[in-house]
Amino acid sequence: MALIQTVNLKKTYSLGNVDVPVLRGVNLSVNPGEFVAILGASGSGKSTLLHLLGGLDVPDPTDFTLTFDARPIGKMKASELDRYRRSDVGFVFQFYHLLPELNVLQNVTIAAMTRWGWAFGAHRSEVEQRATDLLKSFGLGERLRHRPVELSGGERQRVAIARALINQPRLILADEPTGNLDRKTGAGIIDILLERRKIEGRTLIVVTHDPELAAKADRTVRIVSGVIE
Amino acid sequence: MYQLLLTRVYLTSKIMPLLASLGLGLCTAMVLVIWSVMGGFLTTLLASGRTFAGDVTINWPAGIPHYEALTKLLEADPSVAGVAPIIDTFGVVKLPDDRIEGVRIVGIEGTSYAKVVEFDKAIWWRPMTEALRKDRDAKDPRLDPNAQDWESIYFDSLSLTKMDPVTQERIPAAVVGIELSGMTERDVAGYYTARGLAKPRSDGSVINLPLYLHNNQIVLNMIPQDNQGRLLTPTSKPLPVAGEFRTGIFEIDRRTIFVQLAELQRLMQMEGAPNVKGTGESFNPYANLSPDGKSLGTVATSGEAPARVSTLVVRAADGYTPDQCREACIRVYREFERSFEGRVPRPFQLENGKSIKTWQMQMATLISAVEKETALVLALFWLVTFVCSGLILAIFWAMISEKTKDIGILRAIGASRSGIAAMWIVYGALLGVVGVVFGLVLAIAVVTNINAIHDWLGYALNLYIWDPRVYYFSKIPDRVDPRSAAIVAGAGIGFAVLGSIIPAVRAAWIRPVTALRFE
Repeated sequence: MALIQTVNLKKTYSLGNVDVPVLRGVNLSVNPGEFVAILGASGSGKSTLLHLLGGLDVPDPTDFTLTFDARPIGKMKASELDRYRRSDVGFVFQFYHLLPELNVLQNVTIAAMTRWGWAFGAHRSEVEQRATDLLKSFGLGERLRHRPVELSGGERQRVAIARALINQPRLILADEPTGNLDRKTGAGIIDILLERRKIEGRTLIVVTHDPELAAKADRTVRIVSGVIE
Repeated sequence: MYQLLLTRVYLTSKIMPLLASLGLGLCTAMVLVIWSVMGGFLTTLLASGRTFAGDVTINWPAGIPHYEALTKLLEADPSVAGVAPIIDTFGVVKLPDDRIEGVRIVGIEGTSYAKVVEFDKAIWWRPMTEALRKDRDAKDPRLDPNAQDWESIYFDSLSLTKMDPVTQERIPAAVVGIELSGMTERDVAGYYTARGLAKPRSDGSVINLPLYLHNNQIVLNMIPQDNQGRLLTPTSKPLPVAGEFRTGIFEIDRRTIFVQLAELQRLMQMEGAPNVKGTGESFNPYANLSPDGKSLGTVATSGEAPARVSTLVVRAADGYTPDQCREACIRVYREFERSFEGRVPRPFQLENGKSIKTWQMQMATLISAVEKETALVLALFWLVTFVCSGLILAIFWAMISEKTKDIGILRAIGASRSGIAAMWIVYGALLGVVGVVFGLVLAIAVVTNINAIHDWLGYALNLYIWDPRVYYFSKIPDRVDPRSAAIVAGAGIGFAVLGSIIPAVRAAWIRPVTALRFE
């Protein structure tokens, strides 16, 4: 059974009086543990599709299907979507999106804080240990108390990956994770993602322009003018 | 949980919100100082009544006859702790420096008066072994037993008598308010010293001799009235001064003289006197004298008019309020009038004329004015504090614009709208707490040291803001009421939270996708 599935998924943005259709009926099915790369030109709707799969945005209210593990995430209430993002999804963004006032360890554990809420206290030591182990495995063991401004681009993206993995989500969504990095650093990031996927069996969907990255995927899909070819 | 982490971090890293918090703290301090001083003034005013004027007074200027019977009836009531008959009248005093002042003359019996008011504690000139708290150099003359015979002066003041050096008998004397004569000067440390009289020595140097009022005499002038309220011939009486008293209430200390009740009854022609036959009016032996003091003739008399006092001062028993005591006084007076029908003022005359009053009723005009003034000033300062809400709102609005992307990140990792809103409200509340704590500390420091600050302003800058002649008391209230502090603190935090609500709602409704794209 597919872990995540979409049928006829549409998304239109309103810019003033003008409606801009971005997704025009996407059909996609991703199995558990699969690594899928989504390719497409700028403005083709790749990031929009990722946002919808991750519950960051809601599709047009047309006749569609959007499920995660058979749960209709496309029709969930806001609070259910928040819960979905906390527990089942980990995001990795092109521009890292770390919180500048927090240090490396706090940037990772904050994802667990949103998950556990006021019960975090009971899980604090366990979460901090897992975060520390993850960061050490990413070569950041000496940088736990450093702020993002003190890190290189590659280091920041590794922190973002650790944050995405801390809650052990079943689905990792990465939007151009190497888009802001040099080739060598980017390759290192991909290796980390693939290694974690291999160790933990997570499903990985990556939006990318990079054909070399796409070549490492189990499957590549291409979006053209809002539909998957 | 992440709310606490982020608010703690923002609190220690963002300057502008802390400045708003400081502003809130200053407003908090301002409100609490005003409330403490003005509220303290009102509290002191109400308490002073009990201390120096009793809880209830039954007043009839023409005089209440058979007051001893009324006193007995009142003291038998469980709501009454004690009753003191006094004469409370007005007159004019000639001071040792020949100045003339209008004064209130009060005739008291020492024993009964001490049951009702704290007269003994008000006597100023007495022997002391411990200096006043602010008198660090122990310069209070009362500490020096060689300066004056403080023991004798204290005894004289309590008994309202003095030893006549010629006859060696005790004669009536006056105890005068310490602010009346102008012969003493108050030091910032709280003690009084006598102004000096420069006296040249034989060697050409000048010695400063302290001039105490209790080594002098005054002349009291007053107009007696008969039991019908008609004014009689003015009378004048020189009296030695036994000592001085201080209540801390400037108006009382400036305008009051205590004498023996019996002496004042005699001077005011309110002691028992034989009635003139046929008229029923009391025979006034003082009115029936020729200018050289000889009697103008005998008058046939029949019966005696009883002695009178103008006022009965009543102290409520423990557990009874002044209002309850007043109700009891009205009830007892009616019973008293039934026993002496036609011979004492009618109850309705006292009740309608509101001659049976609590201290609060006596001071109603002043109390009402102070309450209104306090309420108005507090309302104005609360308005200023409310402006701090606007300040926090503006700063948070700007911060949320700056933090739009961070809000998007938090939403991406699963934070809910209510969680985001709660974070900003918690941040606002924390700013409120920081500001209020600062404000409370500042207010307590100012209020508890306000008299020292005021004294320093006067000494260093010649700036005297608290004029006892205007503000009734010579000392600025210097205590913070915990209840007032709690209200001000709660309101301060409330205003801070209020200022954060709109920005918090705005932050919560930012779309995550839009926020993540925000530059």
